[in-house]
Amino acid sequence: MIENISYPGPSRSPMRRYMTWLCAVAVLFIGALRVQAEAADTEHQVKAAFLFNFAQFIDWPPSAFTNTNAPICIGILGADPFGESLDETVRDETIHGRTLVVRRSRKIEDLKDCQMIFVCRSEKKNLDEIFAAVKGKPVLTVGETEGFAERGGGINFYRDGNKVRFEINPAVTRQNGLRVSSELLSLGRIVKSETKGKSE
Amino acid sequence: MHFPGIYFRNWFSCLLTVLLAASEFSALAQSSSKSSDLPNAESGPAIYKKMSLSELMALEITTASRVPEKLSQSPSAVQVITGEAVHRSGAMNLADALRLAPNLQVGQINSYGWVISSRGFNALFANKLLVMIDGRSVYTPLDAGVFWDAQNILLEDLDRIEVVSGPGGTLWGANAVNGVINIITKSAKETQGLYVSGGAGSLLRDFGAVRYGGSAGTNLFYRVYAQRFDRNAMDLQDGSRGADALNMSQGGFRMDYYPSEVNTLTLQGDFYGGDYNTRIPTNSTLDGQNILGRWTHTFSEESDLSVQMYADRTWRRDIGSTINDELTTYDLDFQHRFPLGSRQTILWGAGYRLMKDETPTTSFLGFVPEDRNMQLFSGFLQDEISLVPERWKFTIGTKLEHNDFSGFEVQPSVRLAWTPTERQTIWGAISRAVRSPSRIDADYHIPKTPPYFVGGGPDFDSEKVIAYELGYRVQPVQKLSLSLATFFNQYDDVYTVEPRNLVGGGFPFTIQNGLEGQSWGVELSGNYQPFERWRLRGGYTYFHKDLWNKPGHSFSDDNIATLGNDPEHQFVLQSMLDLPNHFQLDLTGRYVDSLPKPELASYFTFDVRLGWQYDEHIELAIVGQNLMQEHHLESPIGQEIPRSVFGSVTVRW
Repeated sequence: MIENISYPGPSRSPMRRYMTWLCAVAVLFIGALRVQAEAADTEHQVKAAFLFNFAQFIDWPPSAFTNTNAPICIGILGADPFGESLDETVRDETIHGRTLVVRRSRKIEDLKDCQMIFVCRSEKKNLDEIFAAVKGKPVLTVGETEGFAERGGGINFYRDGNKVRFEINPAVTRQNGLRVSSELLSLGRIVKSETKGKSE
Repeated sequence: MHFPGIYFRNWFSCLLTVLLAASEFSALAQSSSKSSDLPNAESGPAIYKKMSLSELMALEITTASRVPEKLSQSPSAVQVITGEAVHRSGAMNLADALRLAPNLQVGQINSYGWVISSRGFNALFANKLLVMIDGRSVYTPLDAGVFWDAQNILLEDLDRIEVVSGPGGTLWGANAVNGVINIITKSAKETQGLYVSGGAGSLLRDFGAVRYGGSAGTNLFYRVYAQRFDRNAMDLQDGSRGADALNMSQGGFRMDYYPSEVNTLTLQGDFYGGDYNTRIPTNSTLDGQNILGRWTHTFSEESDLSVQMYADRTWRRDIGSTINDELTTYDLDFQHRFPLGSRQTILWGAGYRLMKDETPTTSFLGFVPEDRNMQLFSGFLQDEISLVPERWKFTIGTKLEHNDFSGFEVQPSVRLAWTPTERQTIWGAISRAVRSPSRIDADYHIPKTPPYFVGGGPDFDSEKVIAYELGYRVQPVQKLSLSLATFFNQYDDVYTVEPRNLVGGGFPFTIQNGLEGQSWGVELSGNYQPFERWRLRGGYTYFHKDLWNKPGHSFSDDNIATLGNDPEHQFVLQSMLDLPNHFQLDLTGRYVDSLPKPELASYFTFDVRLGWQYDEHIELAIVGQNLMQEHHLESPIGQEIPRSVFGSVTVRW
C-alpha cells in the first residue's frame, strides 16, 4: 500500500523495466556470439610460425617417437589462442621426413605423446604440475606467461613493444634430452631456473 | 518503494544466465577451432610460416589495428571514431563526424546550428556534455552548451574522437554529466608534408584547405594550416529561404618538440572567423583565437606527468537574440600518474580556470550582471587496483571542485571490471556527477531591470545524477568487436523556471531545481571487418527518460519537454569498401526514431561517398549526403536539411 503512494514516478518502475531489458538484451547478445567461430589474432598467427620454426631447430632423441615415421605432435594445453592458424601453418609440412599434427586438450595426460606442448595462459596456475608431469621426458614446453621459463618451461614468449620475443631455459631442455641448435639459442634470451623454495 | 526482493530474484537469475552464457561461450571459443572460412591462400599463417625466426622477430604485430587494442578491455562506455572513419564517411565538419558515434544524439537545426547530446536531454540548450579539442574545453559557461559552428579542425589531421557516454565527472570534471567528447588531432610528426584539398557542392557551396608539415632537425616537428568553407542556407519549414548561410575561415599551427626521449613539448593554436547570413540588419559574426602549451614527462611505462596551459577567446554577435558574448578563458592543468606498490596505479591532478564572460545586449532581456568573472578550482584522485592481475580491476576515485555558483562539488565513482578471458570484459560502475550552474541558470533576467518577470536563479544549485552502469565488451574473433553498455540514471535538482513564491504563484519567476527523474537505456556498438577490403562499424541505442516535479514544484509538462526531446531508438551503420582499381565505396546510414514532444517524425537517411585514388598523391571523391529524401527535419524548431552533393580533389605530397 505505502509503496504505491510514496513512489513519485510513473506507476511501472523504470528500474524494473531496465532490469528486464538488460537481461533480455544481454542473453540475446551473448547467444548471438555462439555462432562466431574463433579465429586467431595476428600475434598468435606469428607465434604459430615461431612454433613451426622451433620444431626445425630442435633435435628430439629417437626415443621421443614411437617409430621412424611417427609425426611430430604439437600439443595445445588449455584455452587455445591459435584457432586455425597453427593447423594452417603446419599443414602439408614435414620436418626431417616427419609430418606435423596438432592436438588439443585441457589435460596434460592426453598430450604425453607430444614432442612439443604449448601451455596456454589459462594454465598459469597449474605450471608446477605440468612441469612435474613432463620432467625428464623428451618434450619441449612453450609458454607465454611471465616466469614460465624460469619456473621450469623450455621456451617462453614475451613482448618487446609490438614485437614477439622468446626466452630459453637451456637447463630445462638439456634435462629433457633435447638438442637445441645454437642458432635458436643465439636468437633467444637465455634464462636460468629460479631457485626453488619460493612458494606460490 | 517496491520490495527489493523482486528485483533481486529476477536480477540474480538474469545475471546467472548471462554469466553462464558467457562462460559457455568462452569454452566454446576454445574448443571450436573450425573456422567457416577456407584459409585464404595468402592469409597470415601462410605468409608467416615462410619467414625465418629473425624475420618473425622483426614483425610489428599490432598492424594499424582498426579496432583499438585496449578498447576491448576498457571498462566504460567509450566509443572511438578514427580519423579514417570520418574521412571515409564524407563528413566535412565535426558535428557530422559525431553522427558516426552510435551513442550520441545529433540533430541539425540549420546550416550553423546543431544540438548534440549523449544519454538524452537533447535540446537547444543541451548542457550535460563536456567537449574537448586537444585538451581544451569548448563548452561555454554561458549555457553549458557548445557552439558547434565555432568548433572546427582540419579533419585531415584528426587522429580520433573518443566518445564516453555516461558520467566522466571523476576524471574530466564538471559538465561531464552524461558524456565526454574528446577530439584528438595527430601530432605534427604524423602530419608531415603538403596537403591541399578543395571542392564544391550544393549545400556545401565551396571549401578549400591547405596544410604543410615540416621538421627542423630530428626532434622538432611543426605544421601550419588554413581552411575555409561556405555553406548555403537551408529552407524554413514554410518553404521560404532561411537566413543561416555560414562561412568560416580558420588557420592554425602545431609544434611538437622532443628534447629527449622522455620529454614532449607541444604548442598549438588556432584562429577563426566567419559569419552567418542573418542579413537584417547585418550578418551575425563570430571569431576566436586560442593557444595551448603542454609538457609531458615520462618516468616509466606506468608513470608520467603533464602540465598544460591554454588561453582561449571566443566572440559572437547573434543578431537574432541581439546578444553578444565574449568569453576569455585561462586554464592551467596538472596531472601525474604513478604506480603504488605492484598492484595500484594512482592518477591525480589539479586545475584552475578563469573565465571572463561579457554579454552586452540591446535586448530587453539578458544577463544580469552583464559581465562576470568565474573561477573554477578542481582536483582529482583516482586509484586503480588490480585485485587479481589481468582479471579483476577495481577503480575508485573522486573529483573535488569549487565553482562560483554552487561552491564545492564532489563527484566520486567506483568501477569494477572483470576480464575472464583476454577478449572479454564485464564491467560495472556507480558514479555521481553534477552539471554545475551556468550563466543562463544564474544570471538570466527578463527584463534586464527590475521589476523582473524572470529574475535569474539566485538559489539555483547543480543538477545531479547518480548513474549505475553495467557493460560487456567482447572481441570474439579478431575481426569483430562488440560493446554493450547499459545504464540507469537518477537525476535530482533538474532545471525549472517557476514562481519564486511557491505558494500562490506570482512574480518574479526564478530558475530553480524543481525536477527529479530517471533515465535508462542500452548502447550497442561494434566493429566488424569481414574481409580485408570491407569494414563495418555501427550501433544501436535505446533510450528512455522520465522527469517529474519534486514536491512543491509545478513545472508544466510542456516545459519539461523543452529540457530534452529524445528519440527512443537510434541506429547507425557505416560501411567502408575498398574496390579494385583504387576505388572506395562508402555508405553511412542512420535511423532516428520520432521525437515525442513537440512531435517530429522518425527518419532514415544515408550518405554515400565514392573515392578514387589516382595514385598515392591524388584523390578524387564525390559525396552525397542525406540522400533518402529531398529534405528532412531533425528538430521541431529546425530547418529542412536538404539532399546534397559535393565533389572534392585532394593532393597529399
